[in-house]
Amino acid sequence: MAKNLSGDLQVASANRLVDGTVVWLDEAGQWTDRLQLAAVARDKREAEILLERARVEAFTVVDPFLVAVTEDGDGTIEPLSLREKIRASGLTFEAIAADAVRYA
Amino acid sequence: MRCAMPDTHFYRYDAYDRTLVSERVEQFRDQVRRRLAGELTEEQFKPLRLHNGLYLQLHAYMLRIAIPYGTLSSRQLRKLADISRRFDRGYGHFTTRQNLQLNWIRLEDAPDALAALAEVDMHAMQTSGNCIRNVTADHYAGAAIDEIEDPRIWAEIVRQWSTLHPEFTFLPRKFKIAITGSPNDRAAVRVHDIGLRLWRNAQGEVGFEVIVGGGLGRTPMIGKTLREFLPRDELLAYLESTLRVYNRYGRRDNLYKARIKILVHEVGVEKIRDEVEAEYAATRDGALRLPAGAIEAIARQFAPPDLQPRAATSGLVEARRLTDPDFALWLKSNVAPHRVPGYAIVTASLKPAGSPPGDASATQMEGIADIAEAYSQAELRVSHEQNLILPHVAVEDLPQVYRSLEVLGFAEANVGKITDIIACPGLDYCALANARSIPVAQRISNHFASLARQHEIGDLKVKISGCINACGHHHVGHIGILGVDKNGVELYQISLGGDVDFGRTAIGTILGPAVTADKVVEAVDAVVRTYLAARAEGERFVDTYRRIGAQPFKENVYGSL
Amino acid sequence: MALYSEAGLPASYVALPFAEWKTRPEWPAVSLANTDPVEDLAPHLARLRLIVLEFPKFSDGRAYSQARLLRGRMGYRGELRATGAVLQDQVAFMLRCGFDSFESDQKGFGEALARARTLFSVVYQPAEDDQVPAALRRLGHRNPAAS
Repeated sequence: MAKNLSGDLQVASANRLVDGTVVWLDEAGQWTDRLQLAAVARDKREAEILLERARVEAFTVVDPFLVAVTEDGDGTIEPLSLREKIRASGLTFEAIAADAVRYA
Repeated sequence: MRCAMPDTHFYRYDAYDRTLVSERVEQFRDQVRRRLAGELTEEQFKPLRLHNGLYLQLHAYMLRIAIPYGTLSSRQLRKLADISRRFDRGYGHFTTRQNLQLNWIRLEDAPDALAALAEVDMHAMQTSGNCIRNVTADHYAGAAIDEIEDPRIWAEIVRQWSTLHPEFTFLPRKFKIAITGSPNDRAAVRVHDIGLRLWRNAQGEVGFEVIVGGGLGRTPMIGKTLREFLPRDELLAYLESTLRVYNRYGRRDNLYKARIKILVHEVGVEKIRDEVEAEYAATRDGALRLPAGAIEAIARQFAPPDLQPRAATSGLVEARRLTDPDFALWLKSNVAPHRVPGYAIVTASLKPAGSPPGDASATQMEGIADIAEAYSQAELRVSHEQNLILPHVAVEDLPQVYRSLEVLGFAEANVGKITDIIACPGLDYCALANARSIPVAQRISNHFASLARQHEIGDLKVKISGCINACGHHHVGHIGILGVDKNGVELYQISLGGDVDFGRTAIGTILGPAVTADKVVEAVDAVVRTYLAARAEGERFVDTYRRIGAQPFKENVYGSL
Repeated sequence: MALYSEAGLPASYVALPFAEWKTRPEWPAVSLANTDPVEDLAPHLARLRLIVLEFPKFSDGRAYSQARLLRGRMGYRGELRATGAVLQDQVAFMLRCGFDSFESDQKGFGEALARARTLFSVVYQPAEDDQVPAALRRLGHRNPAAS
């Protein structure tokens, strides 16, 4: 089961400067828009290092920060907070489409 | 190149206005270039982009486009639709300050989007940041039957004075001004930093009541009268004096105590008045006193369209009213009287059942722009209740307008009713939010979808905010809903009895403990049932609440949960 | 910190902090915090050659009001200098409020200052420069520099 009882599992996230896209720092220190490729810090020390790496790479992003996540049996990463879940997966309702004349 | 703008019945840009906007676009283009090249830090850049309407939200940048005093032409609306297609995801959100928000803008595209706006004399200047924001006005201006003078003349004068004002671009906090030209205040002037109310005194002169220090958010307050009667041509000197006092003495130590309402509250309105009047005495005869010619040049552009009075009723309309019950309800709720006999003000409801309140697709925007062109002098308004207005519709055209709006999904007969919900974007979009508001609005809207039931319930304004910043104006909702976060769970606090009507502006009172998302609909339903059981003949919800108090509502809401 | 001046050679007096200057008001140079009352300088303005106003953060705009009061209401004609967080993206506003010299350590500030008056050829409101607001130009008033 997904666990992060002590809040130790963290990923680093930011918004891409050029277009605002939500991104996470991967193992190679690159910003990816795929949460599942995010580097996971497993304790406080790793988290500090991860945030430091994120800040070093901050030239192309805005305000990197740490996000608490869970990781289940097969390594699927899921943010703990609703806000970060929404950041990762988008709107929780269907937005009206460009050519819609009525809401779906 | 830019084609000539067709004549409008509101302010038309001249070469000066166009030059300023395009110079601003070029300035911002260069600022974006320098930011992307790393020559500007985010800290240095952030106010610059906010002053050009660009917010960073959860998923992307949001561009808040100014729609001055909520007025725009069909041509402008079509351009907004085009911009939403080209630079965004093909839809936009009309806001509680009469602006339009696009939610998926790329920073690198922003200068081009602003250049496209400039082609139709639009911009996003000062729609964010600690500066003077879009001046809002009565969305029925120029058409309302009870109007003393068109407030948009003065909204335009204030817009120009406040745009790129060198002294007031770095205020302690944002500054919002609203103007009403009618005793029935549809601009919520008592909950703005400055509210201006045009009125006629006993000598027959028209002037402003100046109201200061209203606002919602963390500490909701109703504005106090700073000046009972201010001659119109002294408006700019008085505003400059007020802003100077605020700029000098507003708190800068605490973001949440920096609005002028806090200054007024802490120092007292009498002391603020003394400071403003002293400053004003020194400025009133100076460069800010507009010569009559300058005022006239602007006022002329708001001359109403030449509408020939027509028969007040139409055989077609009456026949339709009898045979089509939805049309009959629509006439009651969505159509308001116009100052010219034979005309009407139509509200297009952007709140169809279950839809995100205030949103419109590009196709819908184009569609309603066409309707406005054919039936409303090519003019539309945005109301602070997130609906669109067709201000000058001939009564005999009402059946056709209804039919056309129906095709777009904008003909729901729910204006002012329980599903005419005002909701902020909430946690789905906004980095400041604690909870989502749009899904809550959708659930309430679906639950009360029956038009007959909505009209039975009558006028009832539900306003939802996803956080204490209150962009959904929940404090002044008849039913107000505030999303909060407790240990990672979304909870919703319900308040009752808020109101924005001028003489009865009131902040709602919290009913009891916050409820979970799945209980909100039940709670609202319990409130409605309590009202229906207790109401006197013809008594509106908010009046029943005032008469019987919170207790019966509390019992039913919490008893049933 | 580099010193830039539109006014020609910037004044070389050492500006005394306000509290100290009040004990020696005949000294021709004073620097004010943005909470100090500019009105107190009124009896001494004719003697003052340099007033320095501060922007502790560029987002703290109090010195804009101080500057305008000094230049406008109080008629100060000496050098008015901006110090603190002085950045090129605000210099056009500072010029309009009456500043004519600047202490800044931002790269490229000098070039930006040279260009600042060309950024906007139209203004909407009067300030402490000589640009005529659009409302008056529409009635035929002209900018002094215009042909």
